[in-house]
Amino acid sequence: MIIAFALATAVLFGSGAYLLLKRDLVRMVAGIMLISQAAVLTIIASSLNRGQAVIHVGPDDDPSDPLPQALALTALVIGLATVALLLAMVHRVVVVFRTSEQDALAATEAEVEARLERKRQADREEVEGVEGAKEDDAEAIEHEELGRVR
Amino acid sequence: MPWAPSLDLHLSFRLDGLGAIYGLLATGIGALVFAYGTRYMTLHLEHERRGAVERWRFWPWMLLFAMAMVGLATAQDLVLVFVFFDLTAVCSYYLIGFDRSDSKARTSAVMALLVTVVSAVAMLIGAVLLYAAYGTFAIPELIERVGPSETTTVAAALIAVAALAKSAQVPLHFWLPRAMAAPTPVSAYLHSAAMVAAGVLVIGRVHRLLERSELVMTGLLVIGALSIVVGGVLALRRDRLKQVLAYSTISQYGYMVLLYGMGSSTSNGAAAFYVMAHAVAKSALFMTAGAVTMATGEDRLSKLGGLGRRMPVLAVASAVAAASLAALPLTIGFFKDELFFAAAWEEGSVTTVLAVVAAALTLAYIGRFWVTLFLGAEKGQVTERSVVMVAPVAFLAAVTVVGGLVTEPFARLAASGGEVTAGRPVEVDPGYHLELSPENLMAIAAWTLGGLLLAAPRLTTVLSRTLARAGDLFGPRRGYEAMLHGLDRASAGVHGLEVRDLRSSIAAVLVPAGLLVGLAFAATPTDGAFALGHVSGADWVILPLLGLITVVTLVIARSRSRLAIALALSVVGFALAAVYALIGAPDVALVAVMVETMLALVFVAALARLPQEEPDEDRGSVVRRKRRRRDVVAGSIAGLAAFVTVWGFLSKPAAESVSDDHIRLAPEAHGGDVVTAIVADFRGLDTLVEITVLLVAVIGVATLMRRGKTW
Repeated sequence: MIIAFALATAVLFGSGAYLLLKRDLVRMVAGIMLISQAAVLTIIASSLNRGQAVIHVGPDDDPSDPLPQALALTALVIGLATVALLLAMVHRVVVVFRTSEQDALAATEAEVEARLERKRQADREEVEGVEGAKEDDAEAIEHEELGRVR
Repeated sequence: MPWAPSLDLHLSFRLDGLGAIYGLLATGIGALVFAYGTRYMTLHLEHERRGAVERWRFWPWMLLFAMAMVGLATAQDLVLVFVFFDLTAVCSYYLIGFDRSDSKARTSAVMALLVTVVSAVAMLIGAVLLYAAYGTFAIPELIERVGPSETTTVAAALIAVAALAKSAQVPLHFWLPRAMAAPTPVSAYLHSAAMVAAGVLVIGRVHRLLERSELVMTGLLVIGALSIVVGGVLALRRDRLKQVLAYSTISQYGYMVLLYGMGSSTSNGAAAFYVMAHAVAKSALFMTAGAVTMATGEDRLSKLGGLGRRMPVLAVASAVAAASLAALPLTIGFFKDELFFAAAWEEGSVTTVLAVVAAALTLAYIGRFWVTLFLGAEKGQVTERSVVMVAPVAFLAAVTVVGGLVTEPFARLAASGGEVTAGRPVEVDPGYHLELSPENLMAIAAWTLGGLLLAAPRLTTVLSRTLARAGDLFGPRRGYEAMLHGLDRASAGVHGLEVRDLRSSIAAVLVPAGLLVGLAFAATPTDGAFALGHVSGADWVILPLLGLITVVTLVIARSRSRLAIALALSVVGFALAAVYALIGAPDVALVAVMVETMLALVFVAALARLPQEEPDEDRGSVVRRKRRRRDVVAGSIAGLAAFVTVWGFLSKPAAESVSDDHIRLAPEAHGGDVVTAIVADFRGLDTLVEITVLLVAVIGVATLMRRGKTW
């Protein structure tokens, strides 16, 4: 059984990793779902004992290991929250950028970055220009003052 | 006093001879510099047209600087030494970069910080090496325990590197002349009593560790000698006032490093004496330079001259300081060279010659400095006079002369400092001996040679220019700059690889992680580590379910349609829920069914809102096919690593767990279902946090779905 669980986990994780590498955002979400399934399965598989449900355990019963179950519950719920958030984000991205392909997104991002950088550069030049003018003024005033002292 | 007992760190301070010398310098010269600075900073800020409030960006750092120096002087623990060492570096960064609108000041500050802090890390490594070998960071105990060994040599060399970089010794000297971008009080302090002195202080403090290694001592000798010559020759022809003094500092600290490198008790005492004499003279000279620059608005020797008549007090005071640096009689400086000559004579003929050349160079450059500044034709306008800025110089000059007549207190301080360094009583006995002793002969030779150098400006010009040009071409500063640029490029490259493309950053995590896991498994013995496990009862149903999951998962990976992916995902989810139910985990199974139902609905709903066209990835160009092959390889490596890991740890179950306690205690928690009791009671806090996470996610989803009104 151990090797069966290990194999299933490995396939889940490997496929998840493969999907994560795709350029389609929806497939990336699917990849994350698979990976979290692999995690839950691993936790459950690590039960020390597999037997009856651990409800009203009597002295002669052979109950399952309850701790991994509790942990798996937590993992499942957190997984749900993560995936919901991810899907909402993907949805938002698609609405704003009209694409769910990473390459296209990266291209848009680079474009925006370049535009921002140009803007910043322009701002900087403007500021420096003003400062330079101020310095020139200051020097002129200094010369005048010196002249008067002399 | 214990500081971090778990790391065996102690706050141990002791005011011994060495601590007293450096503590006195830091506080005494500090007080003068502070007095000088009150006037200087006001003028400086006026010149720079900055508000007077800016001085609060200055004084706190100066104060911290002084405190760090006193702490360093008295610290008896290598880690503590390191902390104060770095503290002085950080302070110096802010002080050098005080004129932050000046890009030169900023680069100089960064350079000073990088050179000294990076090399200070070498000291930390050295300290840790010693700790690993001898089990203590305390310097006195280390000195007793450490014997000559390879570890000692490496650790000593590392500590020495840090100290030498701090003391601006060749080849890590290039930061110091640049650091002249700082306001003058900072330079005066940094050169005489703080920062640069810290390096020599550390050498003096751990000298008996360094002594254990012949190699390190030889290294000190060589580096000290190199620094004397390079600093001295470069100082000969500098034009800016503070540059002359900066190169002079490199050369002067070279003397001290050389003295420590000799390692005899005479030379240790001489080094301690030298620190004091140099600090007094150098801080006075720096303050002279600052006063002159403030008075005339010029900072170049070529544009200044004949100031002697217009600033007589300053001229006399700085003449005394210069004479002290050049070791003329009647000043305390005479004895520093007397002791230096004595130690050099004791050591051998090479050091004797070197000592004479060094003293001659000193006389030549400092003579040129003073003569050009105060004698000759009048150049430059004196517009600003300040008593506060001249008084400290005059006071230091007075100290110099008193020290030249009454050497007793200085000698005693130096002796106690040398005793700490050498670990045995040291005799420091300076005095005027009117006889043909080797020291006197050497002094006369040095003066003659220095006078000749002073009289032959053309020769010195050629010499100094050649060395400066060679330094520009092949100097260590180039290496530093190349390294900085290289790092910058590497960082940009890594950034491009890591951040710009999400795919490659994921692959960059997955593949190395998988390979590392594989390596770890290859390295550990695996005999009997893996078990197949046995199959019984309900397991026969679970096996085909797991098979189904495997197949469907592979389908998901290959599928082209998003809807198919969504549906297949819920198949996997429900199959897993069935597995959980069969294993005896009804709670998990129920929750899994709920979660899967919700996810399936959400997923399909999301798909409905996404654009219809399917991205045609993996079809078409060769590049895409290649990428796909790469992805498959990465995924397989990740899967294999997961397989080995999971199999490995499932094969070795823990002997016992808290589960039995949980089962036993569940009735007390008023729970029939043990899992519920665990979630709601035993691990209640976990659940609370989990609910918080869920809430945050819900808020996120709601905001995102509200057509991004918060964006």
